[in-house]
Amino acid sequence: MTSSRIWSWVAFGLGVAYFLLPLVGMFEFSLRARRGEYSFDAYASVLGDPQFRTTFAYSVTMALVTILLGVLIVLPTAFWVRLRMPRLRPLVEFITLLPLVIPVVVIAFGYIRLYNTSSILPLTGSVMGTNVLLALGYASLSLPYMYRAIDTGLRTIDVPTLTEAAQSLGAGWATILGRVILPNVLGAVLSGAFLTFAIVLGEYVFAALLNRPAFGPYMVWISGNRAYEPAALAVIAFAITWACMGLISLVSRTQKHTRARS
Amino acid sequence: MPYLDISHLEKSFGTNRVVKDFSLPIEKGEFVSLLGPSGCGKTTVLRMVAGFETPSAGAIRIEGKDVVPLRPNQRNIGMVFQAYALFPNLTVAQNVGFGLKIAGVAAAESRARVQEMLELIGLPEMGGRYPFQLSGGQQQRVALARALAPRPRVLLLDEPLSALDAKVRVRLRGEIREIQRRLGITTIFVTHDQEEALSISDRVVVMNAGIADQVGTPFEIYNHPASPFVASFVGTLTPFEATVVDPAAGTVMSGGLTMNLGRALAAQAGASLPIALRPEAVHLGRASGREIVLPATAREVEFLGSVIRIRAEAGGQAFLLDTFNRHDAPPPQPGEPVEISFSGRDVVVIGGR
Ligand SMILES: Nc1ncnc2c1ncn2[C@@H]1O[C@H](COP(=O)(O)OP(=O)(O)O)[C@@H](O)[C@H]1O
Ligand SMILES: [Mg+2]
Repeated sequence: MTSSRIWSWVAFGLGVAYFLLPLVGMFEFSLRARRGEYSFDAYASVLGDPQFRTTFAYSVTMALVTILLGVLIVLPTAFWVRLRMPRLRPLVEFITLLPLVIPVVVIAFGYIRLYNTSSILPLTGSVMGTNVLLALGYASLSLPYMYRAIDTGLRTIDVPTLTEAAQSLGAGWATILGRVILPNVLGAVLSGAFLTFAIVLGEYVFAALLNRPAFGPYMVWISGNRAYEPAALAVIAFAITWACMGLISLVSRTQKHTRARS
Repeated sequence: MPYLDISHLEKSFGTNRVVKDFSLPIEKGEFVSLLGPSGCGKTTVLRMVAGFETPSAGAIRIEGKDVVPLRPNQRNIGMVFQAYALFPNLTVAQNVGFGLKIAGVAAAESRARVQEMLELIGLPEMGGRYPFQLSGGQQQRVALARALAPRPRVLLLDEPLSALDAKVRVRLRGEIREIQRRLGITTIFVTHDQEEALSISDRVVVMNAGIADQVGTPFEIYNHPASPFVASFVGTLTPFEATVVDPAAGTVMSGGLTMNLGRALAAQAGASLPIALRPEAVHLGRASGREIVLPATAREVEFLGSVIRIRAEAGGQAFLLDTFNRHDAPPPQPGEPVEISFSGRDVVVIGGR
């Protein structure tokens, strides 16, 4: 083995250690709830906590709503920009990046000011209204990831020609989007969706400021009040994130028609 | 009344007039080609018929009804693109059945129609494949079947063979024509390849800078080009400037050579007349019926297989001539003196007869 190869392995090892050691440490810590021996007590306590279940269910529901909202907003927009306004693409891309530039606290306070109980559209006045507001906020947070993912997907197909082919066969816009465009960018849509899922699951500021029982605030609350459970929760959250990643690659691999491309 | 009637069509993009006063009546079942160099507006005409562009002026009528107000998906016009444009996520059978599904055709009927189409294009076993598993020629066949499956009123093809290699191109163009004849479908075929247009069309429209320069059968276009542009774009020829000597007798003079064209000319004596010779009208050596014989020098000799194309020079004027290859008569060498002959009757008068 040449020395350069040895050094690259060393660099690789250091990188792995940098990421894995904290995880291993955390995992090990999460197993020490019972004095003197390893156990899954912390996990049992977390999973058995009704608060965990309600906040988790709430956030998962919100995530699914957000994904649906995001796809409904982004797919037609990105499609239309590619089809009819290719010159506006950099501008639209910039707009979708704004949620990354503006702090969430600012957005949240802006929302609360705009939609408070004495405004024209008092969304915060009811639980459902607040949920809607939260989903809209999440959708805007997911915009940079959704748009990028879907736009990248659209780049792999000839959008104008496929659209015209479908039109000449009698298809309307809904059919074109649903049966021609969406299936061909499904992998991209799903990777955007899983990123959104991960973001919504861990989001704290929006949920806390709007006072909704979401998973993010629960995680913060539990880490201030318990010892071993936060570590167990972190491992669980980590596992969920990785499951999402795995699903992304699984989905993109099981799409038959894309097999030959990569 | 023509089946498809394009009349006084105009299209401008901003200040750029791309199609100018384009009129073309097409009979039912006719195969018409739009032929012209890149950028002359062929695709734009086709896209207006399909509904992807809105004309700036003019009308497009099918069976007497103006289709301009209709959206592309309401026109029932089939289209085949240069880039195939098959839906990559669908199998061949699903691609061909796409239009039927949208039209709400029942599943059993649709399946039968798809199979019928696949047999028509000679790919009956390929229904389960995905587009990426097919060659370019096969993909374009599938695209043709997909366009034809919903029984469109008109079929439009925009340079469908340009992305294919030469052998496939020649075979597929014959197949397209054969299928078109069998179904009797009214077809507009766009190409920049004059051989392609001449070989498969009932009529050819030669376009130049947004204008239809000449509309006619391949025979008319080739033998009686209506303009210098048509003459130079369709086929190869040697142009001359001639002066009319006696219009009634058909005598002209070019470079000190007096020729009788064997027909009356619609021009004044002394007027200049653009004429030309096709390479196949000029003969190497003497031959009966070719009264004009010139001593010349061979300059370039191009061996094309069955035909040998020679550029010869006579009296400072270059002549292109084609001669059939014969294994017992090797072609002249460049620089070698030769005799060439032709008949005045074979001279092409550009823009007239
Ligand atoms: N959407 C468009 N916007 C502006 N100019 C266009 C557009 N489509 C075509 N053109 C112009 O119209 C002219 C004719 O184009 P086209 O019909 O595609 O020619 P062809 O198919 O004969 O090569 C070209 O100069 C092209 O640049
Ligand atoms: Mg074109």
